[in-house]
Amino acid sequence: MDKRLAELAELTVDHALKQGAREVAVGVSRARFVDLKRREGKTEKLQASTSRGLSVALYVDGRFSSNATSLLEPDALRDFVDQTLAMTRKLAPDPYRYLPDPGLYGPTTGVELDLVDPGYDALDMDERQRRVVAAEDAARREGGEPVISVTAEMVTQSSESLQIHSNGFRGEHAATSFMVGTTVTVQDADDRRPEDRHWTVARHLTDLPPAAGVGREAARRALSRMGSRKVQSGEMTMVVENRAGSRLLGALLEPLSAASLQQQRSCFEGKLGEQVASELLTVVDDPLLPRGLGSRLYDGEGLAARRMPVVERGRLRTYFIDVYYGRKLEMAPTTGGASNLVIELGDDDADGLVARAGQGILVTGFLGGNSNPATGDFSFGVRGFVINDGRVGHAVGEMNITASLTSLWKGLVAVGNDPYPYGSVRMPTLVFEGVQFSGV
Amino acid sequence: MANPSYFESHFGVDDNVLRRTIATAMERGGDFCDLFFQQRTSNMIALEDNEVNRGLRVVSLGVGIRVVQDDATGFAFSEELSEASMREAATVAAAIASGGGPGAAPAAIRVTPTRDLYPIRTGWADVPLEQKLPLLERINNRAFAADSRVRKVRVRFSDGESHVLVVDSDGRKAYDHRPMSVLFAQCVAQDGDRREENYHNIGGRVGIELYTDALADEIADEAVRRTLLLFEAVRPSAGEMPVVLAAGSSGILLHEAIGHGMEADFNRKGTSIYADRISKPIAEPFVSIVDDGTVPSSRGAINIDDEGNPVQRTVLVDSGILRTYMHDRISARHYGVEPTGNGRRESFRHAPLPRMRATYMEAGPHEREEIIRSVDRGIYAVSFTNGQVQIGAGDFTFYIKTGYLIEQGKLTAPIKDVNLIGNGPEVLRNVCMVGNDPEMDRGGWTCGKAGQSVPVSLGMPTVKVSAITVGGLG
Repeated sequence: MDKRLAELAELTVDHALKQGAREVAVGVSRARFVDLKRREGKTEKLQASTSRGLSVALYVDGRFSSNATSLLEPDALRDFVDQTLAMTRKLAPDPYRYLPDPGLYGPTTGVELDLVDPGYDALDMDERQRRVVAAEDAARREGGEPVISVTAEMVTQSSESLQIHSNGFRGEHAATSFMVGTTVTVQDADDRRPEDRHWTVARHLTDLPPAAGVGREAARRALSRMGSRKVQSGEMTMVVENRAGSRLLGALLEPLSAASLQQQRSCFEGKLGEQVASELLTVVDDPLLPRGLGSRLYDGEGLAARRMPVVERGRLRTYFIDVYYGRKLEMAPTTGGASNLVIELGDDDADGLVARAGQGILVTGFLGGNSNPATGDFSFGVRGFVINDGRVGHAVGEMNITASLTSLWKGLVAVGNDPYPYGSVRMPTLVFEGVQFSGV
Repeated sequence: MANPSYFESHFGVDDNVLRRTIATAMERGGDFCDLFFQQRTSNMIALEDNEVNRGLRVVSLGVGIRVVQDDATGFAFSEELSEASMREAATVAAAIASGGGPGAAPAAIRVTPTRDLYPIRTGWADVPLEQKLPLLERINNRAFAADSRVRKVRVRFSDGESHVLVVDSDGRKAYDHRPMSVLFAQCVAQDGDRREENYHNIGGRVGIELYTDALADEIADEAVRRTLLLFEAVRPSAGEMPVVLAAGSSGILLHEAIGHGMEADFNRKGTSIYADRISKPIAEPFVSIVDDGTVPSSRGAINIDDEGNPVQRTVLVDSGILRTYMHDRISARHYGVEPTGNGRRESFRHAPLPRMRATYMEAGPHEREEIIRSVDRGIYAVSFTNGQVQIGAGDFTFYIKTGYLIEQGKLTAPIKDVNLIGNGPEVLRNVCMVGNDPEMDRGGWTCGKAGQSVPVSLGMPTVKVSAITVGGLG
């Protein structure tokens, strides 16, 4: 960790305690990033910066506040702590606010998550240019005549953070990431201009596939969106492409937070151990995956990371219980939020699942919509393709799906063998039966 | 409160430092550069389980430095305002430019006079916590007293202010002081074994004087009313049907269906469905749509945009004809027009983009009752939570939190939790009646684009769209 930032974190802890805080938690972070964007054969944007920040949670006279600043001079920090302490002392006391029991902290070193590419600094601007040029050129070649615009981008980040709690926790986290993405817009016969995007992201540069493939896939996806139209409303089988499915899982997980439970806005209250999805769904929260995009040794409250089944064969196994709401609920904390979500795989790939589905809709993306965690009702815009006789047909757009979370997930009838690698949710292709689509 | 020397008196950033930093940014050439200084303080206090027991303060300070050559942007920011640190950021931003001799620093820096669209009596930094606490408690008590089905109430009061200084290589220097606040209440209610939640919020670039007891009561009453209504709500049947949009927050339709598509960056790149449609009819003659940076005290109001340009009321659609896009400096130069004051950014850590401000439709010829009466079977949409659009394909969505069925010209059962999806130009063409009751929504709308969030406002009269796809059941 940057030595100056570490000293400022310690200074802040000391000053807050000296000024009367009973406990304090301080985090400091530094992130360096470079964003290179190329469009129509020219560099469109080049951005490079370093961002630093300090956050401080204060526990004083039984009261609580959480605060953050980017003014990192020692005097400015002391002023900031004094002001926020004064503000905190005017709030109502909260008996549930104190730092986690140190027994919940675990070792914060010793497991190698391999989240840092030691070659980060060796990646120069010429190499970045080579990659975005390769992505752009491949997209243009693949897309041909209908292409209106191609934007290729490489974004890299190197970040580090340190968290110190006055009751004994000290954790350091560092990670790098490399993203190459391409967005392609094509012109449709009726002057619509559908676009699609493909991207790859990895902790280590060597794990990124060749950039040309990213451009080609983006172009293929954009071309396939041409001539999209909506179809008749009705209940249909829905096959969800692996990269799109995290939206559905996110809606399922939102009501599992301790805050939702304690505030009585969770449709899964009292459902631990019960069937909330079909037996085909098993989801594990796994923070310890090497090179994982959501990997960590400790969570935002310093709790030791551990592998945790969330749903097993459709039965709800755990809630996401943070320390504060856990106390209010008198439930043992698990973790406040998901890390990497790993889904147990089935046997078939996407093509096989589409063939088995026979008729239905292949959903490749969601647009807008929302879900109500208190009732489980949701309604999302979708785009994708019709499935006819087990084959992918014309593009579909401007349609909605509407259901409740449990009815949707209980209708899960198949899980693919193709986990999506470029996100913290390793979602395979999913097949749901009896989904209400609205269209014409 | 306006103090153009704020960054000089607090951080020593005088005109000499500015000129030297600009000279560094322009040392490899470039058409222009700008420096965007910002100091922002945000506060939040929250009530939960009957106590205001959570506070939050976030402070940030820095400068974003941008160099533009043709359509290309070099950008870097510094979170320290020392000359050395700014010089380093200027050097990074300068790397975008090549060819052309070193651009000159401006000989003189002149302060541009600005408007005063959001005068407030007391800056938020000087409003004591004791003045805010009773508002949250009042809402909590009133919401619980309103109905025994109310089980949980959460209230949040957010406020803050931003000092902004924009200086560019033409020697323009413009200062703005931007207050912002919003009071938000959420209820959970239980009726038998059914639970529902809903919320209401009101805010703007206003001071504490807006937040009267009467306003707190209005927020509490509306949050409760909207929550309890959901117990009677059904989900409409699925498919295409006429939709009547209530006056006010239905402006989200304009924001998604047309607003984003008329931001000039998408058109400059040819990626908007509205590219090449200037001067063409895109709606009925009684449809006029405006994006306005000058609605006093609204979230979308700005005295200057984030490139230092003066703001204006920009008529996007005039009596059905598409008149102009929303421009920042890059797109205005591309199209050979004046900037419209739409260059906005989330903070000094971001480069500006063409963004909406307060977007609304002007009054039309129809009565609200007449509009509802004209629908045999459809829905009346009242409140919304969020929306999204695909700029090129034109598909857009917005999510209805509350509304009603319309059956034989009358409002009947309440509805809830359905998504509407349509195609922007098609829906705009299908706006077949416009009410004479325009209303700006006072809610805390935030728009996201390219990873940047900015506060916006929306407004609408009652409007009928002949067909939109409604996400329903059966």
